[in-house]
Amino acid sequence: MTAMRRDLLLCGLFAAAALAWPMVSGLRYSVTQTTFFFIWATVVVQWNLVFGISGIFSLAQVALFAIGAYVTAMLGYYLGTSMLLAMPAGAVVAVIASIALGLACLRLYGPYVALLTLCVSQVLYVLIVNDTDCFTHPPAGCMPLMGGVRGFSRFGDLGFRDWLGSGFYIGNYYVGLALLTAAILFSILIIHSPMGLAFRALRDNPVYAAARGVDRFRYQLWIFGLSAFFTGLAGAFYAVNTGVVGPVVFSFPHLLFLLSMIVVGGVGTVWGPVIGAVVLMVADELMRELGDFRDIGMGLILVGCVVLMPKGLSGLFQSLSARLAGPAASAAEKAK
Amino acid sequence: MDVLFQIIASGLTLGAVYAISTVGLALVFGAMSMLNMSHGALMALGGYMAWFTLTGLGLPPALGVLVAVGVCAAVGALIYLLIARPMLGAEGFETRIFIATIGFGAVMESAILMAFGPQPKPQPLAVQGGIGLGGVHLPVQNLLILGLSMALMLALGLFLQKSRIGMAIRATAQNRDAARLMGVRIGGVYALVLAISGGLAAISGITVSSLSSLLPNMGGDPMLKAFIICVVAGLGRVPGSVVAALFIGLFEAAVQYTIGVRFSFALLLLLVIVVLIWKPQGVFGRHQGVRL
Amino acid sequence: MPDDLVVSHLTAGYGHQTVLHDLSLRVEAGQLTALIGPNGHGKTTLLRAISGLIPAKSGEIRLGETRISGLGAAAVVARGIVHVPQGDLLFPDMTVLENLRMGAFLPAAGRREKAALDEVFSLLPKLRDRQTQIARTLSGGERRMVGIGRGLMASGRVLMLDEPSLGLAPIVIEQIYEVISGLRQAGRSLLLVEENAMRAAGIADRVHLLDHGTLAWSGTGTQLSGRPELLETYLGV
Repeated sequence: MTAMRRDLLLCGLFAAAALAWPMVSGLRYSVTQTTFFFIWATVVVQWNLVFGISGIFSLAQVALFAIGAYVTAMLGYYLGTSMLLAMPAGAVVAVIASIALGLACLRLYGPYVALLTLCVSQVLYVLIVNDTDCFTHPPAGCMPLMGGVRGFSRFGDLGFRDWLGSGFYIGNYYVGLALLTAAILFSILIIHSPMGLAFRALRDNPVYAAARGVDRFRYQLWIFGLSAFFTGLAGAFYAVNTGVVGPVVFSFPHLLFLLSMIVVGGVGTVWGPVIGAVVLMVADELMRELGDFRDIGMGLILVGCVVLMPKGLSGLFQSLSARLAGPAASAAEKAK
Repeated sequence: MDVLFQIIASGLTLGAVYAISTVGLALVFGAMSMLNMSHGALMALGGYMAWFTLTGLGLPPALGVLVAVGVCAAVGALIYLLIARPMLGAEGFETRIFIATIGFGAVMESAILMAFGPQPKPQPLAVQGGIGLGGVHLPVQNLLILGLSMALMLALGLFLQKSRIGMAIRATAQNRDAARLMGVRIGGVYALVLAISGGLAAISGITVSSLSSLLPNMGGDPMLKAFIICVVAGLGRVPGSVVAALFIGLFEAAVQYTIGVRFSFALLLLLVIVVLIWKPQGVFGRHQGVRL
Repeated sequence: MPDDLVVSHLTAGYGHQTVLHDLSLRVEAGQLTALIGPNGHGKTTLLRAISGLIPAKSGEIRLGETRISGLGAAAVVARGIVHVPQGDLLFPDMTVLENLRMGAFLPAAGRREKAALDEVFSLLPKLRDRQTQIARTLSGGERRMVGIGRGLMASGRVLMLDEPSLGLAPIVIEQIYEVISGLRQAGRSLLLVEENAMRAAGIADRVHLLDHGTLAWSGTGTQLSGRPELLETYLGV
């Protein structure tokens, strides 16, 4: 129970520090970038539950994110739905999509799951980009059902513009913070719950766990579905925050960016993905000057991390702290 | 009736193009349980190398193809040395190599983009003209691709079946420890298999770009389709994946002619999911115990 | 003069787990040496360490003057140490003939492939009729024969057999042991892991008893037959 208390405490500290950040930093740019960090961190924290905890090598998280974003944008654009309603609706649709996907591919062998879920993203991307049939005819010309190459814009916001004027981005910042805090809390609860324990048992000794009646498939489907809610919600919030949703959210570089976060931070822990998101956001910021070399840099970070640091930064911290705690502690670690 | 012939003709061409990539991927997965996600970037590299040697350096076509194949084979071996070898035998190899090759592919693609720019280029290795056959128009290029692909498959099959090194590759794929006990240096086999796969990717890239055009990200879709074919056949089944490639090519051509190009990938994916629910190990796959 | 296989102060295992502790023993040239002992006490691990499938953590293994520990499996075979592993580890999708030919994969063995094949077929005549059969479809006894035949194809100096009688019907065990004693008479250096201590005592020139990864007892086969209390202590027979 102490580990859970520690994580909850850390989560509280993080939220408190983040609450104060816009007042400390006067820069609009740093606040909006932190809002993006909240969104990406939410996605990777949930992805970690799927990949690191329950062992599903799924690449569908980006697609689920995009589904959340698209549903929100389309509801706002076509039906004028309030964003407060459209966002949860997007999240629910993401959950439904993830369960359908889970039923189709969770029983398969690891790499098959990765390939199929990657293909699902790609198929959605191709379907959207190649759609040129006009669904409606706005003044600008032609709008395909799914927005086509250009995507959607002007589908509504959370009302911060009317309320806060030019400081509306601060409203979005706090919504993002609430989203990430909820996502981390959910992750802590899952990791320290009986379900989390069951997954650890499955990972350490699948045969024994199966003999004790741990139904892997059912647990995996639960996690896959539940984590899709926050992933979809993050997508929905992304749509509201940026005001534009286009096929770029499905794109491969986008997937690469998020995948790097989870790999650099280290899977299977509560804080690894959050650390990874921070590091990658900062790295992205630093490489902005490099122009075309930026993508190469991102790829190299990913490759280097997988090859040299398989447990990510969080794994590195753990082995470092084990070494600092003395040989007794490291021996105990080994015995485990 | 003519439509049917047209579908068969273009379906077989598509299948032949896929087969070249698919076989390379299947070979690598069979030998070392590695899904090489940088295969698509290798295809692009091969296509651009052919363009560069022919248009840029003015080399004769045969030499240009040879250079493209050589460069991609070398990059394949480099992937083994720099990325796969350090993590061989470590926990989670299959997942880690998947992610690492995604990253490496992205690096290669960005490098190609920087070197050659984002505008589509025509593949100079395309043959014009066609043959009329009972009302059906068959472009020479398609026939050439079909013939080349089948010849390559035949050569590869003979190499794997008859040669000493081919035997070593098959032995490594079937039982790694036993292969080592026979004196096979499996590190060499891994490097070789990735080099062969790289060379095949180059040829595949040249054929794909000769049917459309050169783009830095041109390999992405064909790679995913080739993987889908591998999954349908059962990962690592080399002969089965050739059959599956031709079948999927025909399927895709049929969908393109009847429903529309836009939906071909989606229906392909649907087909794969149905196949996997029916046979989780793939059509030609067999359940195998833990592969060490 | 053929060389002895000498294991000195060997420590080896898997990952963090150490199975063999500071183990020393000798396999004399031209003799049949048997390893006995309870299951899970290091017999197979020793063979895997000798053949280079797992690295030695410390200590060394020599064949005559040549140090073979640390060479890697392929180089160890090239030095003439051939390991017929437990559970056969055949190439399941190859034919019997292809499996046998893989045994002579290294160039030195490949040059006398034809002669070796004739030798294997005369020792294990059943394989001659099964040449084109796919290994996966063979019976347990036939698989064992292919495994042993494949080991013989390497024309090595030391042949290590890991539990060649495991899981076989008594009549097949007899056939296999006939082959082994034939090899012994032909003067091959043999290292045999055998679960059945009495069977090992009956055929071996020298017997080593492994317990908890160390050498618990060593002696001739005849000596072992006269020490029933040893078997009771270590093997519960």
